[in-house]
Amino acid sequence: MKHSFIALIEDKCTSCMLCVRECPAWCISLDSHTIDVTEEGARRPRKVNVLDSFEIDYSLCMYCGVCIDVCPFDALAWDEHRALVTTNREDMLLGIEELGPSGSS
Amino acid sequence: MSRSFTWHQVEPKDWRDKIGESRNAGFTFFDFLTGVDRENVEGNQMCEVVVHLAKADLSESHFISTQVLNELPSITDLIPAAQWHERECAEMFGVQFNGGNAKPLLRHENLGRPPLLKSTVLAARVLTPWPGGAEPEIKEDGRKVGNASRRRQRPPGVPENWLKP
Amino acid sequence: MTRYALTVDPNVSVEVVSASLACCTLELQAALNSGSLIQVSESDTGPCVIVIAGTVTDALVPSVIELIHAYPGAKVMSFGACATSGGPYWDSPPVSKGIDQFVEVAAYVAGCPPRPDAFIQAIQELSSKRAS
Repeated sequence: MKHSFIALIEDKCTSCMLCVRECPAWCISLDSHTIDVTEEGARRPRKVNVLDSFEIDYSLCMYCGVCIDVCPFDALAWDEHRALVTTNREDMLLGIEELGPSGSS
Repeated sequence: MSRSFTWHQVEPKDWRDKIGESRNAGFTFFDFLTGVDRENVEGNQMCEVVVHLAKADLSESHFISTQVLNELPSITDLIPAAQWHERECAEMFGVQFNGGNAKPLLRHENLGRPPLLKSTVLAARVLTPWPGGAEPEIKEDGRKVGNASRRRQRPPGVPENWLKP
Repeated sequence: MTRYALTVDPNVSVEVVSASLACCTLELQAALNSGSLIQVSESDTGPCVIVIAGTVTDALVPSVIELIHAYPGAKVMSFGACATSGGPYWDSPPVSKGIDQFVEVAAYVAGCPPRPDAFIQAIQELSSKRAS
C-alpha cells in the first residue's frame, strides 16, 4: 500500500470531528447536522449526525496519517496511488466526491 | 554500565562557580545548554537555563540549572563549546549572556520576539479559523444551530492568554 | 540545469532547474533518477521547468524570485506542501505561506513529500499543456 492519498469512506463517517481536531495542519474541515431518527419500539427518538461536507486541503496536508489513526470508525484510509497534480491551488481542496476510495467511482 | 544523574539548582550569582566546580571535578564533557520557559514564577516571567555536564565516560552527569529574568554571565571562557548553545538560547529565549558572543546565530536581527517563549503569539494560529471548533450543531464561526449545549473547544497549541485582546 | 525526456515518450523533453530548499529535494532527485526520465542533449528545445522543492522562508524569497527571473518563460512547479502553502510550517512566522504569493505557478504537486511518480505526472502535465 502506498501512502499517497487519504480517502474518505463516507458511509462510515459519524461526523465525530476527531480527525478535524487532531490534524496538526488544520487541513480538514467538516460540516454536519443532527436529525432525530425514530425507531420502532424505541421510547425516544435517537439523534443521528448527518455529514454535509468533508474537505481535505491537500495543499496543506502533510500525509502524517494522524486522522487515519484517530478515526474510531475507519472512515479514513490510505489509498492506492493517486498523485495530485493541479494547475490551480483551489483544486487541491477535495470534497466528499473526490475523496472516495479508488475503485468506488 | 550504570549512570548517575544529579540535579543542581543554583542562584544566578553561583552559576559560573558551580559550573567551574563541576568541570574541575572531572565533568569535562559538555552536552548542551538550553532554556526552559517557566513563565510565571511568583509574578515574574522566568526562564530556566540548564546545562548538562558529564564525565568523559558518561558514568556520571550533572544537570545544573538556574532561573533568570533575562540575563546571565556567559560560561564560554570555562567551556568554549557552550558558545553556540548560548547564542541559540539568547535568540530563542531572549536570555542575554554577558561576556559571550552576542552575534545572532540563526535568525535575522530584529525579527520579532524570541520564538520559543510561550508568550510569543503565533499569529497564524490565532487568526486562522480552527475547523475543529465546529460541532454537528455548532458552525465553525461559533453560531449555534439547533439546541447545542456543549462548551466550545479551544484549538490545540493556542494558550488561553493568546486569545485575549 | 539538465534536460530530461520521458522514457515513455522521448519526444517530450523539459529543462529541469531545481531550487533545492529542503527535504522534498531528495524525492525530486529520486524522480530524476528513477528511470522514468532520461537525460538528453542540452540543445533540444522544449519548455523549462523550475522546481521549487522545499520550504521557502521569507528571507529566501528574493533569491527564489531572482532564480525564476533568470529563466524567462520558464514554468514554475510548486513541489510539495511547503512550497504550496507553508505545509507543516503553516503557523511559523519566518516561513512564507505559498510561493504563488509572489510568482505565477504553473503546477502544484501535493505531498509531504510528493512521491517521485507525482513529479513525472507533473512533467507530463506541463509538457502536454505546451503542445495544446
